[in-house]
Amino acid sequence: MGTVPAVYHALLTRRYLTSKVMPLLASLAVVLCTAMVLITWSVMGGFLNNLTQAGRSLIGDVRIAWPNVGFAHYDELIGMLEADPSVEAAAPIIETFGMLTLLENRTEGVLIRGIDGGSFSRVTDYPGTLWWRPLDEPMPKDGGGDDLRLADENRLLLQRIYEDGLRLRELDPVTGRPESAIVLGVEVGGWNVRTDWGGYYPRVQHLATPEGGSELMNKFMPGSGELSLLVVPIDSQGRPLEPQTAKLPVANEFESGLYDIDRQTVLMDLPALQKMLRMHAAKRVVRGQEGAGSAFEGFFDGEGEVAPAQTVEDPARVTSVIVRMADPDGDLLAFRDRCHEIYAEFAVAHAGEVPSGSVIGIETWEDANRMMIEAVKKETGLVLMIFTFISFTAVFLVFAIFWAMISEKTKDIGILRALGASRLGVAWVWLRYGLAIGVVGSVLGGVLAWAIVTNINEIHEGIYTTGKWLGTHLAGREWNWYIWDPKVYVFKEIPHKIEPWKAAIVLVGGLVSCLVGALWPAARAARMHPVKALRFE
Amino acid sequence: MTTATATTPARADPTPGGLLLRVANLHKTYRLGRVDVPVLHGVDLTLGRGEWVAILGASGSGKSTLLHLIGGLDRPDRARNGRARAQIEFRGRDMVNCSQAELNGFRCADVGFVFQFYHLLPELSVTDNVLLGTMIKHGRWGFMGQRADLRARAHKLLDAFGLGHRLRHRPAELSGGERQRVAIARALMNDPSLLLADEPTGNLDRKTGAAILEVLAGIRAERGQTMLMVTHDPEIAARADRVVHLVDGRVVRPSDG
Repeated sequence: MGTVPAVYHALLTRRYLTSKVMPLLASLAVVLCTAMVLITWSVMGGFLNNLTQAGRSLIGDVRIAWPNVGFAHYDELIGMLEADPSVEAAAPIIETFGMLTLLENRTEGVLIRGIDGGSFSRVTDYPGTLWWRPLDEPMPKDGGGDDLRLADENRLLLQRIYEDGLRLRELDPVTGRPESAIVLGVEVGGWNVRTDWGGYYPRVQHLATPEGGSELMNKFMPGSGELSLLVVPIDSQGRPLEPQTAKLPVANEFESGLYDIDRQTVLMDLPALQKMLRMHAAKRVVRGQEGAGSAFEGFFDGEGEVAPAQTVEDPARVTSVIVRMADPDGDLLAFRDRCHEIYAEFAVAHAGEVPSGSVIGIETWEDANRMMIEAVKKETGLVLMIFTFISFTAVFLVFAIFWAMISEKTKDIGILRALGASRLGVAWVWLRYGLAIGVVGSVLGGVLAWAIVTNINEIHEGIYTTGKWLGTHLAGREWNWYIWDPKVYVFKEIPHKIEPWKAAIVLVGGLVSCLVGALWPAARAARMHPVKALRFE
Repeated sequence: MTTATATTPARADPTPGGLLLRVANLHKTYRLGRVDVPVLHGVDLTLGRGEWVAILGASGSGKSTLLHLIGGLDRPDRARNGRARAQIEFRGRDMVNCSQAELNGFRCADVGFVFQFYHLLPELSVTDNVLLGTMIKHGRWGFMGQRADLRARAHKLLDAFGLGHRLRHRPAELSGGERQRVAIARALMNDPSLLLADEPTGNLDRKTGAAILEVLAGIRAERGQTMLMVTHDPEIAARADRVVHLVDGRVVRPSDG
């Protein structure tokens, strides 16, 4: 008798749920808590996703690196890599540090990446990161179409600058010959002003002249400006050589989506950087035997005469080869291991000339951005923990409401027992009731979260517009209610990503919270003595 | 020790259809804080099949407690200090030492309760209140399998009690007399062997109370329903086949009182 489950459980759950205000309030609390956690997780997850994708946009999937000194025969390695079906493309790059002298002799330490525009574009999303290019459609928040890149009169110039950026070359205005150029992170120069809608326009500013006056200067550098770059070459033995300086025109600027990269990275034509760093292919004259035990061994021939000089060809070197997977959703770690195998074969073929397979650094884009990704993951975890903790109020709310309801329904419990319901049957009435509140609350919370997350930018715009209107009418000035201000955040819109497994965890969490909240009151109901319950006033 | 046979003169053989219930040496003590409050002091009682017995007593005499013990809602005191063991035998079955699950089954299948304050669930309709006991008895699949039949039976019962037009109403929309008739219909839904009525007219005006008594008498006449009714009103008790007087937790002869 009173077996679990029975029809009366369903009937009472339905009736209690629809005839009382308190359970509706409990459901509402669960709705809000579920939605709050899911929205937070989706936005933080979207932020992490955007951040990592941005980090991936300029380094490919896997990087094979031997820093500073670099390694030779990279073309052969790239050939071996690209012959493998798991590899989409590979590109050589050099990563080094240098000093960039900007306008008015401001000097900044920068990370310099020497790239080959063509191969780099096949491995990364480099073309998509170039900022100065003609646009057909305005950016999401540029409602007024203020973007300079939309203007027809700028189209020709921007197209040329874009192509210069892709090639990292610019035509010399005097000789008309292409010369190496640099592409700066959009925040490096400090001459771009970030707009309200998350774009940039070149700053126009008075600059001091040597004569003591000032002149108005349009600081649009691509296509016209020239900057000085200093690097310190290191020879193949790892010894620093004499610093090298070059004056280089600015071909374009890029925006990767990561402020740190955009603030301190300079891209440069690979052959030009190799030359500056003495990593280009070159011939040199040697006497004696390279790599001998004594510096003088082989320097003299058998008769005590100086041995004849020999010309040795040093191949060009790069510090890294970046590789892109053929399957973008493939197993990244397996792909890394495959790259490692290919490199090991390559190292065996060039034993003594390149680092061996056991010492070379091979890492995925996730490894390369680990610090950043881990930091955001930790922040996401922290925020989730706080919100989950706050959501525990739902447990106490359900508990308090159930406790009060069971007091109110004591007589009902006595009646059920008098009609033959078991203790378990009575407990199940309340557990099922808690479960129903959890189901209703979680499902509605999930729907609410989905509705908000998928329209979060429109809602955000609505809040912003409302703030502007209210401010104008109430305070005589616009109130800036931009929470996700594109002027501050690199991503123009609030990132979001609802993942089914996360939604499932949150929804189940909502259910479990309600069950936990109902557990003690249900046990109390089950323990009630039927006679006392019937006599309860 | 006093037995039920030593009460007011029986109008007929007390157990014409055989013995349904035998209660012996029933003691019950409640504990209020640190104080033991004895309510029943060794009650003996027999109830024949088809018999209508009224337990008459003043407020606090232990009438309802006796009803609760017989109905399996509570358990009698255990034997102690040389006192004989309490016995409640229903159709020869020992109900004192049975398990909680067996008591649940007993309340569900063999007993129908009618309370003074009706005790209907306010959120349920009249029909659902009447069906509640069958839902508990048959479980999900059992109830669903014979849902239409059970619903028809409930409607028939309610119709017989003049509530055919109130099927979808909530208890709050009914008068006291109507509520009590719904409670009686609920008690009869599982076709119990024993109907336990605790002051069924106690919360009703005289006229409505009389009508309820007519209903009970009708059930008794039509179905031969065994009934044990608790009341403090001698006039109401007089409608029963037999009256048992309960004074301070003891069954007494009228002359003792």
